Amino acid sequence: MSVERFRAMGCDVAVAGGGSPRVAAVLERWEAAFSLFRPESELCRVNRSGARVVLVSPLFARALGTALDMAAATDGLVDPTLCGRWAEVVVCGRLLSRPRGLALDLNGVVKALAVDEAAAALDGPGFVSVGGDLAVRGPVDVALSAGGAVRVVAGGLATSGTASRGGHLVDPRTGRASISCWEQVTASGATCLDADVGAKAGFLLAERGPDWLDERGIPGRFVAAHGEVVENEAWLAATRVVPACT
Amino acid sequence: MPDQSRIERARRRARAAKAALGALTALVFGVAFVGAKTHAPGHAKGKAKPLGAPASFERAVEKSALQSGQIAPPAQPPVVSSATS
Repeated sequence: MSVERFRAMGCDVAVAGGGSPRVAAVLERWEAAFSLFRPESELCRVNRSGARVVLVSPLFARALGTALDMAAATDGLVDPTLCGRWAEVVVCGRLLSRPRGLALDLNGVVKALAVDEAAAALDGPGFVSVGGDLAVRGPVDVALSAGGAVRVVAGGLATSGTASRGGHLVDPRTGRASISCWEQVTASGATCLDADVGAKAGFLLAERGPDWLDERGIPGRFVAAHGEVVENEAWLAATRVVPACT
Repeated sequence: MPDQSRIERARRRARAAKAALGALTALVFGVAFVGAKTHAPGHAKGKAKPLGAPASFERAVEKSALQSGQIAPPAQPPVVSSATS
C-alpha cells in the first residue's frame, strides 16, 4: 500500500488509496474555515462578531450542528463552548444564535469531520490519517502509540490524551485543562468523528471511561501514566484471537 | 290578617323565584365559561410548553451520535500509526 505524506491542519498527514490532492484540498477547506490561528477564518470572524444572531456558511452550520449533537450525546463532555453553555447555542438552517460574547471552539470535531470527508474523497481502498486520527476505506492495520497494533476493518480510530502535547484537552465541567488517570485513550468509531469523540469522552471521564464506552458498544483502549494498558470489554471482544479449528 | 298572610306568602314565592333565577343564571354562566375555556380556539387549554424537539427525538439523535467501528486482531505489519491528537 503506497502512502503519501504531507503537512496540513498543523499535523502530519498520511494518505493511502490515491487522491491525495483532493484530500489536501478538503483539509485546507476545513482549516480555512475553522482555524483559530487564522484571523480571517470564519470561526474567528464569528467569534469577533458582537451580534447575537449571525449568518454562517453551510459548512459552518453543519460542523456546529454536529458539535452540538456530540455535546448532547456526551452530556457536555465534548462542548463547542468549552464552558458548559452549549445548550444556549442554536443553529437553525444557516442562522447561528448564541449569547453575546460566547466564543466557540470547534476543534473537538473539526479535524475528525475533515478526516471523514477526506476519506470519502479517496480513489479506492486506503486511509486518511491526520495527526493520528484515522478513517479507513477497507481494512488497515494500525500501530498503537503505546505498543501493539489493531486492524481497523471499517470506520475510524482516534487517540486523545496528554501524551504528545501536555494537558491540551479542556474539561468543560471545570473550564481548565483536564486531569485524568489516563495518559491517552484510543477508541474505534463508525466514523473518525465517533472515534474521536469517544476517545475524548473516555479520557475526560477518567475511571468511568471504560464502562461509559462499553455502555455504547465502543471499543476503547486506555493507557495509564505509568504505562498500564486497560482495554474495555468491547475492545477485548473485538480483538480476541479465536484459535482456528483444525 | 288573612289578606296580610296571602301577601306575605306571595312575597316569599317571589323571593324564592328570584333566588332560583339567580342560581340558574350563575349555573348557565359557569357552564358557558368552562365550555368556552375548553373549546374556544383562542383560549389556551393547558400550560404553554417551550417549542423544542420531543424527548424521543433527542434520545434517537444521542443514540445515533456515537456508533462503534469495526476492529479486529492485526493480520499484517501496520502501515500507519494512531497517535495522540
